[in-house]
Amino acid sequence: MGRPLDLFAAASPEGAWTVSQVTRRARAVVEAGLPPLWVRGEVSGFKAWQSGHWYFALRDKAAQLRCVMFGRDNRRLPAPPSEGMQVFAFGQPTVWDEKGEFRLTVYELLSTEEGGLWKLAFEKAKAALARDGLLEPGRKRHLPPYPRRIAVITSPDGAALKDIIAVVGRRWPIAEVIVLPAQVQGAGAEDELCAALASLRRLAVDVAIVGRGGGSKEDLWTFNRERVARAVAASAVPVISAVGHETDVTLCDLVADWRAPTPSAAAEAATPDQADVRAALEQLGGRLARGLTTRAQRAGDLLARSQDRLVGALSHRLERLADRLAAHGAHLDALSPLKILGRGYAVARDVRGDVLRRVAQFAPGLAFRLRVSDGEVPARTEPS
Amino acid sequence: MTPPPPVAPDPQDLAAQLERLEQIVRRLEAPELDLDEALKLFEEGVERLRAARERLAQAELKVKKVLEHLDR
Repeated sequence: MGRPLDLFAAASPEGAWTVSQVTRRARAVVEAGLPPLWVRGEVSGFKAWQSGHWYFALRDKAAQLRCVMFGRDNRRLPAPPSEGMQVFAFGQPTVWDEKGEFRLTVYELLSTEEGGLWKLAFEKAKAALARDGLLEPGRKRHLPPYPRRIAVITSPDGAALKDIIAVVGRRWPIAEVIVLPAQVQGAGAEDELCAALASLRRLAVDVAIVGRGGGSKEDLWTFNRERVARAVAASAVPVISAVGHETDVTLCDLVADWRAPTPSAAAEAATPDQADVRAALEQLGGRLARGLTTRAQRAGDLLARSQDRLVGALSHRLERLADRLAAHGAHLDALSPLKILGRGYAVARDVRGDVLRRVAQFAPGLAFRLRVSDGEVPARTEPS
Repeated sequence: MTPPPPVAPDPQDLAAQLERLEQIVRRLEAPELDLDEALKLFEEGVERLRAARERLAQAELKVKKVLEHLDR
């Protein structure tokens, strides 16, 4: 038999371990034995702290594993997982000294569900926007037909900006393009996009294009942020959203006044084609000329009609006058003294032309004139 | 004496130009228009048409970068 085991020999300040020593040792053992690994489980008791760190547990039917995901790691995720969600977590199993707790420090979290956390975040934000009526089709504003100034909110060195400038330059060079540079992905992109959208209020632009070229789901994610979508909805001028490719539909697309599948298409939606405008101008010119011609013709017709009526009325009146004259003529003829003179009568008139009707008017030696049927004869009474 | 209101339309503003032209044509096409008025409208229309054509002809895209929203 060997030496009897002295259970109490180490129970002394020299022999006993401190708590810290134990937990530190346990951590070393755990971390050495369990390298970073993927764990599959169900999320339970999720809590996001003010600090930005997430605390939760992963469970299966028989066991549970405490987890922490620090702010610096969870910031990349679109949304926190929901309770009961099946996830894959990649992390380092470790021992948390302070609480003597065995746990998993999570670096990456994926949902096993269709679309995962992205979809979850998208649906959540979409529901919030819908609750506030921001997805109503009736909210959508008309785009100005002939914009003078077009704001473009995008990365200053992206292909999207080049495409937009090329299309606007070809279709509607009358416009001025105002570029509001903003980061479109990564940290700070959300703030920059929101600030640019808010500044539209202070710029005299008619329409704004916000967007970027294609990219991964993570690259495009800023345009799915609820805050950015709300900034689009609150814009002072109509907004055309053009994010990624045809198949990528973001929250910004849903609240924008117009959704374009690509940045080039956005530029087309924002502008008329100058060839069409030229044709429209020619057409307007034609209508202008025809309008005046028609109007002048109508005035001419009216004049001609008036003239006809005037002439008609006048000639009718003249005819009536002629008739009346003829009637008077016959009457006058019947009364004419010449007719009587023709029968051998004569009329005596003094020098003033007064007719001498009585003997008393014939003073001795009076000169007078005798009107007979074919003329006048000078005469004088016998002197007394 | 008050100066006459400016008749020359802003040649830069094609939108306003086109809108006014539409308006003029529509009024000119209305039957109850006074001939004198029609002539005035026509003259204005021709002037605006000329200005719009000119504006289109000399158009050259201007691109400006605004950084003010970043220095808040």
